[in-house]
Amino acid sequence: MTSTVQLEIPASGAYLAVARVAATGLAAQLQFTYEEIDDLRIAVDEACTQLLARRGSATTLNVAYHLDDAELRVDVSIEAPDRGDPLARDTFAWQILAAMTDEVREQSEAGRLWLSFRKAGGRG
Amino acid sequence: MAQLPQGGRTRVTEVPNDGRVHRGPEGADGGVAPLNGRSVDRGHAKDLFRRFVETRNPALREELVGLHLPLVEYLARRFRNRGEPLEDLVQVGTIGLLKAIDRFDLEREVEFSTYATPTIVGELKRHFRDKGWAVRVPRRLQELNLSLNKVVAELSQEIGRSPTIAEIATKARLPEEEVLEGLDTSNAYAVVSLDAPAGGEDAPAVSEHIGAEDESLEALEYRAALGPLIAGLPERERWILYLRFFGGMTQSQIAGRLGISQMHVSRLLNRTLAVLREGLLEDEETG
Repeated sequence: MTSTVQLEIPASGAYLAVARVAATGLAAQLQFTYEEIDDLRIAVDEACTQLLARRGSATTLNVAYHLDDAELRVDVSIEAPDRGDPLARDTFAWQILAAMTDEVREQSEAGRLWLSFRKAGGRG
Repeated sequence: MAQLPQGGRTRVTEVPNDGRVHRGPEGADGGVAPLNGRSVDRGHAKDLFRRFVETRNPALREELVGLHLPLVEYLARRFRNRGEPLEDLVQVGTIGLLKAIDRFDLEREVEFSTYATPTIVGELKRHFRDKGWAVRVPRRLQELNLSLNKVVAELSQEIGRSPTIAEIATKARLPEEEVLEGLDTSNAYAVVSLDAPAGGEDAPAVSEHIGAEDESLEALEYRAALGPLIAGLPERERWILYLRFFGGMTQSQIAGRLGISQMHVSRLLNRTLAVLREGLLEDEETG
């Protein structure tokens, strides 16, 4: 069964720590190792930062954490009606996300930009 | 300091200043632009650099510092609302400028101001981070952090992999909450001075440990549109970035290869990413 935790924070770098701390606590529940948690924190930081950099006039950033057995899926999204450019795959940011997680996806849909990733824990 | 091999870097010239990832003073709010206003003669600067690279003459170095002081002042002003006198910040920024002058490579064909900005900003940030630790982190958290470092290192040895939070808590005889708090402190303040191995940035060149993977490193600089930022990083930080994000190595593997602890790799990685991200958000917030 999947449990979901939703977070809505102001679209400002000052609140990134909240998204990171939430991820840390949830990953600990899923028995992620110290290193896996660190990777996760980097990925959360990166995804949020990338969307914040495209925030335009958006005022909030949404982060949803889906907990599933030993896996955490994170969806970060922001309203961006006037800045539809998703994260390109040939950027360093994409490379960071891909290296830190098991799967990354970007999406531009219904006036929102999304960055989603999946990370399994417990492999040590 | 030993240099990485630098064959064929011409691609890098196309990278800087897309106006978002990193914006030099020229692109910032028009009124301030010190380099336009006071007009550093770029030809003159280049000529000075050429002579300085050849002769390493301290007088030339000083002249270069004077020439680029407006850049330092401009960057220092961005930090002035944090309760430090501007003159002190200019002093700190000048240390960054000196490092950048000593490392600048004319072959790179990037403007010096583009190259120097991340180094100067990095120095200013470090100043606040170091102070931040001394002033704001309670003693209890500093000690917690140190003891967790030790426990994580011991456990990793014992069980042959990175430990979970629950395992760390059991071993440290602490509630999990407190372990999590300690880990947050560890990266939020990202200070290396407490347990960094002797040597710091002047430790033996990392390339001696690693061998030449420079082509991929170059690809990283190119792909990133962060070329100048990455080029401005200390060598060890650059290698850690590369090994983790392109080399597919885990933090523990990198730690083993560089002869430092995994948590130290973690801190360096987090600190480096923080520096790289600065341009991204700060410019938006001030611009």
